[in-house]
Amino acid sequence: MISTRLSSLRLAESICLLLILLFLSGCGQKPESTTITFAVGGAPAELDFWQVLIGEFQDRTGIKVDLLRQPTDTDLRRQGLITSLKAGRSDPDVFLMDVAWLGQFAASDWLEPLDTHNDLDLDVFFEKVLNLADRYQGHLIALPVYVDGGLLYYRQDLLNKYGFDKPPQTWSELLRYSLVIQKGERETNPDFYGFVWQGAQYEGLICNWLEYAGSNAGGIVFEDGRIILHTPANVQATQFMHALIHIHKVSPPNTYTEMKEEEARTFFQQGNALFERNWPYAWALHQSEDSPVRGKVGLAGLPHFSVGPSVSTLGGWHIGISKHSDAKQKSFEFMKFVLSFETQKRLALELSWNPGRRDVYTDQQVIAALPHFTRLRGVFENLRPRPNLPYYTLISQVLQRHLNAVLSGNSSATEALSAAEREAQTIVDRYAQ
Amino acid sequence: MRRSWLKTLLIFTGVAFMLAFCLVPFLYMVVVSFSTTPEFLTPGVPFKFTFDNFDAVLVGQSLHFMDYLRNSVLLSLISAFCCVFIGSLAAYAVTRLPVPGKMYLLFLVLAVSMFPQIGLVGYLFKFMAALGWINTYQGLLLPYIAWILPLSLWILVSYFSQIPIELDQAGLVDGCSRWQILYKIIFPVAVPGIFSTFLLAFILAFNEFMYALMLTTDYRTRTIPVGITMFQGLHGQTPWGNIMAASVITVLPAVLLAIIFQRYIIGGLTRGAVKG
Amino acid sequence: MPSRNLTSVSKSAAHELRTGCLFILPLVVFIVLFVLLPVLGTFINSMFQDVSFVGKRFYFFKNYEHLWSDPGFFKALKFTLLFILVSVPFELVLGLLFAMLLDQHIPFRGLLRGCVLIPWAIPAAISARTWELIYNYSYGLANYICLTLGLSTQPVNWLGTSVGAFSAVVVADVWKTAPFVAIIFLAGLQAIPRELYEQGRIDRANSWHMFFRITLPILRPVVIVALLFRTIDGLRVFDLIYVLTHGGPGGSTASVSHYAYMHFVSGDFGYGSAISVVLFVIAFVFSIVYVKVGRFSTEVL
Repeated sequence: MISTRLSSLRLAESICLLLILLFLSGCGQKPESTTITFAVGGAPAELDFWQVLIGEFQDRTGIKVDLLRQPTDTDLRRQGLITSLKAGRSDPDVFLMDVAWLGQFAASDWLEPLDTHNDLDLDVFFEKVLNLADRYQGHLIALPVYVDGGLLYYRQDLLNKYGFDKPPQTWSELLRYSLVIQKGERETNPDFYGFVWQGAQYEGLICNWLEYAGSNAGGIVFEDGRIILHTPANVQATQFMHALIHIHKVSPPNTYTEMKEEEARTFFQQGNALFERNWPYAWALHQSEDSPVRGKVGLAGLPHFSVGPSVSTLGGWHIGISKHSDAKQKSFEFMKFVLSFETQKRLALELSWNPGRRDVYTDQQVIAALPHFTRLRGVFENLRPRPNLPYYTLISQVLQRHLNAVLSGNSSATEALSAAEREAQTIVDRYAQ
Repeated sequence: MRRSWLKTLLIFTGVAFMLAFCLVPFLYMVVVSFSTTPEFLTPGVPFKFTFDNFDAVLVGQSLHFMDYLRNSVLLSLISAFCCVFIGSLAAYAVTRLPVPGKMYLLFLVLAVSMFPQIGLVGYLFKFMAALGWINTYQGLLLPYIAWILPLSLWILVSYFSQIPIELDQAGLVDGCSRWQILYKIIFPVAVPGIFSTFLLAFILAFNEFMYALMLTTDYRTRTIPVGITMFQGLHGQTPWGNIMAASVITVLPAVLLAIIFQRYIIGGLTRGAVKG
Repeated sequence: MPSRNLTSVSKSAAHELRTGCLFILPLVVFIVLFVLLPVLGTFINSMFQDVSFVGKRFYFFKNYEHLWSDPGFFKALKFTLLFILVSVPFELVLGLLFAMLLDQHIPFRGLLRGCVLIPWAIPAAISARTWELIYNYSYGLANYICLTLGLSTQPVNWLGTSVGAFSAVVVADVWKTAPFVAIIFLAGLQAIPRELYEQGRIDRANSWHMFFRITLPILRPVVIVALLFRTIDGLRVFDLIYVLTHGGPGGSTASVSHYAYMHFVSGDFGYGSAISVVLFVIAFVFSIVYVKVGRFSTEVL
């Protein structure tokens, strides 16, 4: 019996001890880190690029960088970073963020302010982008690595063929051109449509909607704790989007079920559309060797309604440093390296990304390789951000659902926008200070 | 005669349907993993055989597949081992020893197994974050063990209660301690039960998703089920060949286990679900 | 030496108690620390506004008030209940069918049983990715089958529309869990004394009658267990949704677990906890109802 007691006692004791030991081990201070961890996602080619870049940085500075590969899906990347940041992990030290998350990350106090480092030359960046996205309560918290904005791609050859001398300036011009050319082209190509854009139920729909609404002097208004979506300007813009698909039938019927960036791009690239709304990345692909529309594509700012300016939704990726980082100085060095003229130029030349630095757009070598960059600069001056709210993703979900219902014909623009406004307001109220 | 013919036909059709239902997605996975493109079902795209997908997954560093696999196997093995050990101790006590309120314990444990994981994971995350255990093995292991213990206990109790109590008494007469009885007498007799518990615990840990999603942050501890959702391509182009190759490598052991040890798994499942 | 044995037995009652308690101690420690404590913590946390970008303060029942007026939550709840309502009957019927087939005297019975276990043994996340490919709009297996068999003339946009995504999730879930149900039913079937069927045959009952008069009534407790397990499991469905549809399109397939998780990763732990607590309570109510209706406690335990 004694041996029973002893052995079972010993057993229980050792299990408890093990637990305590494990607990204690967690409490120890971690030593100052000699390496930094850089979290980035993307296509294999992009990751390979970062890998090479890291190697060069290591050779130059002797600072070791771990590449933490993230998925491509934007929301999975956000979730992954939030898990680390919320847990207070010291890794990753430095990472890329979608512009739409900056509000949440900054308000959660996860980002190291960058203004203490006064050896940064901020004049080289797009001032508008810095002000719209990278400053939070007077502090600089991130910097743009890569800038995105909505653009209008058009078929220069078709415009010429039907006697239109320049791309449409307004939405009604776009509609008129589309109707004429669609009618003509359908005789040889029954699958031809006037205009493709992103109408599936996802974040891209919000980006598109903001461009219609903004160019009608509308958009998402947020003041004194009230969110306003249901305005005549927004209703009109939303009705126009619905009409493109259902009344004028210049946009394909699968616009609201399937059209995301890639679907719209391939549709256009196969020669089945006159106009396409997409991000700058589509340019290089439209002009690639095996593209049927190579050499026939033009690029312009998006059209607008008569009352408003042309608007492009601001997209892109920004670099920031974690507040919990255990190697902030080294991370800062790395960030400077990523944002240097040479690296940004390589980003443009090798990945055809649109750098956050303005000076790359005037570089002769870059312009020679990517002539459309001269036009991009103008577009990037009209960028309109998504609302800079920390709970933006939740609002976006609501709006996506209701806007998509309008596009599918299940709801009227008035109904949908007032319902979305009500729902969005409950979210705003929940997080009211 | 006609009736039995009809019956045979019915059974045959039923079995064919059942096999197709259960195996087609799995076979599709295998076929895609050996194909150069997932588009071979579209007209005009031929099926071409290749090992490239497996090569990419096994050799390619950037997918971290081998890291995920190592984490999964290690975590599941340790969890299953701990569950069997801790579960056996408790099952022995419940079936043999005068523990007050053991019925309540069994009921509590049953109730615990009904808890939705989402109700635990938020707090576990904060708890582990406070200890600095996010993205560590122990941070995942301890919740795993606690999560799988209820089922392990039920299966083991059901096996142990069938072992004649005379065996224990014989052991006591020989002067064995309870601990000695457990590992010298009960364990050898209960090998099938222990083995099914181990298998089930292993499969449960291997398949667990939500804890792994929330309590790990990178390849150093991330498990296969979560890792495989991170295999993504650019602008919607998913590397299906790689994903399916990784899936095949991952599920092959599970499939073999299921086929070879179906008797033990079914025994365990049955006892865990319907108290035997 | 019987005398020594006797004294030690009487003396050992206290030791036995102690040993027993020590033997169950590790289990209790684990369950308390990593299950009960987190549940309690979640409940307490649901009383706080705990948002990474707002801060933490005592909120009392305010999270639940917000929940009450949150259309997103009710949408998730509606989806989850509808999901159970549709998928569980399918699982039970298919499970019963499979169990009856596996109970027959057919060649390779062991191998067949092993094959049926495969969907259950594969991690849900992995099978969900396979289903994601199967449902691919332009080259997936599902559309290939539908078009080849003439079930539809147009490819179906499985994951892009609400109805398509719902069916996709149900099919994938039924595929994974019907085998589990089959195994439980199989055990129930094997427990039915063969004499009952013999008796039925003597009474010239046809198979149909025997199924409804003998098999189903005896199987009733097992059916209730399966129903309970599947319902509870369906209530907490997460990984399938997370991988296959991400809750989309536009939240139409977001389950309650997924909705709570989305709030956790949006930095709102208070609200996420409140959602979890509600799910918890619903699961609890379901189990009570089943236990009462099925007299689960008296028959099975």
